[in-house]
Amino acid sequence: MKTFLAMTKRNIKVFFKDKGMFFASLITPLLLLILYATFLAKVYKDSFNSALPDFISVSEKLVNGTVAGELFSSILAVCCVTVAFCSNTLMAADKVSGARKDLFITPVKKSVIALSYYVGTLLTTLIVIAVAMGACFIYIAVNGWFLTFGDVMLLILDVFLLSLFGTAFSCIINSFLKTQGQISAVGTVISAGYGFICGAYMPISNFGSGLQKTLSLLPGTYGTSLIRNHALRGVFAEMTKENFPPEVIEGIKDSVDCNIKFFGRAVSISAMYAIICASIAVLIGVYVLINVLDKKAD
Amino acid sequence: MENIIEIKNLDKSFKEVHAVNDLSFNVKRGELFAFLGVNGAGKSTTISIMCGTLKKDNGSVVIDGYSADTDMKKITEEIGVVFQNSVLDGVLTVKDNLYSRASLYGITGKEAKAKIDELSKLLDFENLMNRTLCKLSGGQRRRIDVARALLHDPKILILDEPTTGLDPQTRKILWQVVEDYRKSKGMTVFLTTHYMEEAADADYVVILDSGKISAEGTPLELKNKYTGDFVTVYNADEERIKSLNLPYEKIRDAFRIEVKDTEAARDLIVAHPELFTDFEITKGKMDDVFLAVTSKKLVGGN
Ligand SMILES: Nc1ncnc2c1ncn2[C@@H]1O[C@H](COP(=O)(O)OP(=O)(O)OP(=O)(O)O)[C@@H](O)[C@H]1O
Ligand SMILES: [Mg+2]
Repeated sequence: MKTFLAMTKRNIKVFFKDKGMFFASLITPLLLLILYATFLAKVYKDSFNSALPDFISVSEKLVNGTVAGELFSSILAVCCVTVAFCSNTLMAADKVSGARKDLFITPVKKSVIALSYYVGTLLTTLIVIAVAMGACFIYIAVNGWFLTFGDVMLLILDVFLLSLFGTAFSCIINSFLKTQGQISAVGTVISAGYGFICGAYMPISNFGSGLQKTLSLLPGTYGTSLIRNHALRGVFAEMTKENFPPEVIEGIKDSVDCNIKFFGRAVSISAMYAIICASIAVLIGVYVLINVLDKKAD
Repeated sequence: MENIIEIKNLDKSFKEVHAVNDLSFNVKRGELFAFLGVNGAGKSTTISIMCGTLKKDNGSVVIDGYSADTDMKKITEEIGVVFQNSVLDGVLTVKDNLYSRASLYGITGKEAKAKIDELSKLLDFENLMNRTLCKLSGGQRRRIDVARALLHDPKILILDEPTTGLDPQTRKILWQVVEDYRKSKGMTVFLTTHYMEEAADADYVVILDSGKISAEGTPLELKNKYTGDFVTVYNADEERIKSLNLPYEKIRDAFRIEVKDTEAARDLIVAHPELFTDFEITKGKMDDVFLAVTSKKLVGGN
């Protein structure tokens, strides 16, 4: 255990010694926030307005609050995974520098080394995500705050779980990478692609039904939906209070992926949590197994 | 003396290179074992296989009774390795490096501090403790590498060209520490080096060529086998030396005559007592052995 802590400490120290690495991870969410706030916000707003029947009038604050909630969930859903990939460079760096050899010639279990990489990446990811999350909460507060303390806590839990998920995912992929170049390439692909397949750039409800079904097989989808549900819960409550017809609210919920269907069956919030937790456990298991079975150091 | 390292029929190929070719040798407990060979002979590859960072194709490696196939964990507790290239974390300080590596052996807290303090005194890097590793000079870093390898008092210290590029002073410090450990703790030292004067102090020498052993023995055996003796004559006349019809070399105020062995030297001196009034008989150097062994192979290969 002491060994594990010392190794994790070492991993984190190495990460933060390289200031470039930290800022590179931090810049992803900030870029996304700026990008989303300037472009996507308008798209979301228009689509929201056009989705509303004409007879309903909505306060500007409620519209902005909804859009902000959507942005919040999109950004954090993407970031939890992409930041994990950006900050998970140490495994490959250690292969290049030979430090991995140095770990291999010691009696430490491979699983301990693997987990220390995992926790190291997780902590650095969480630090970056916490900063991003703070910025996103400020954005919501400026545009229209409908969240309760409970919502905030649930959002923090969601983001935490999704970070666990993203980190495990990135650890598996990066186990096979050997150079910084490969890491950057994969990181770029993930940043660009993951947003689409998890429903962050565009709600999955916009896609064709075949694609929807395929995406419903991916656990990341439910992570996005969890964040979305909690980020928008207050908004929907406010709509109910302002006497929106329930079917209109359900329609909006459908359109922003708050109600996800798995081959036709609605997935409850608790089922989503179960899916995410199970996939985290499976991914970490697979990752440790890959490392235990790996006989080579480079 | 029993064997502490037993390597049998070891084989390793990279795509087009047969780096280690049916290699077998033993290292005895407590000895200084020199593992020599030209660049690319397969020394580092053999070391990587011994310490479990590289998979072998064939053969067996047994270290202190443990097989590398099944008991690698036991082996790792017994070996300390200084790799040819430093493998510590460049961005961390010397201190962070040593403490984090010590923890890998379960050495933490007071125990770690005591050990690291001891090594920093022995290897004279107390004043470097808070420096960033990658900002150190090559020789300074090498001392840290050696300290890293000695953290857990290994039974076997594997050194892959530990002294390359070091000044004589640093080399002396390094060897003093290694010899101390060898004497006081019975540590076995497995050394690869290109400095033949270091190999000359070894108990046993193996010279590797293209992954195969091309010569092995104690330095004395090797010198006797691969080099002649030299008779250095002072105050002699070159014409007379020439008339002996033996290869010789003129050095400052003397001539160095090469003879087959010590017996031949004795016969030569007895046959020419008037010429050899002031002389000295010396054996060949490990340099000569190395050149003889490795260049012979080159000719044979052509
Ligand atoms: N990872 C690798 N992939 C391909 N070939 C390799 C690899 N490692 C070593 N080789 C080849 O194996 C041969 C032996 O290399 P090795 O590093 O063992 O030599 P060495 O005896 O340590 O040489 P030096 O004195 O230069 O350190 C060389 O021909 C080298 O090119
Ligand atoms: Mg080498």
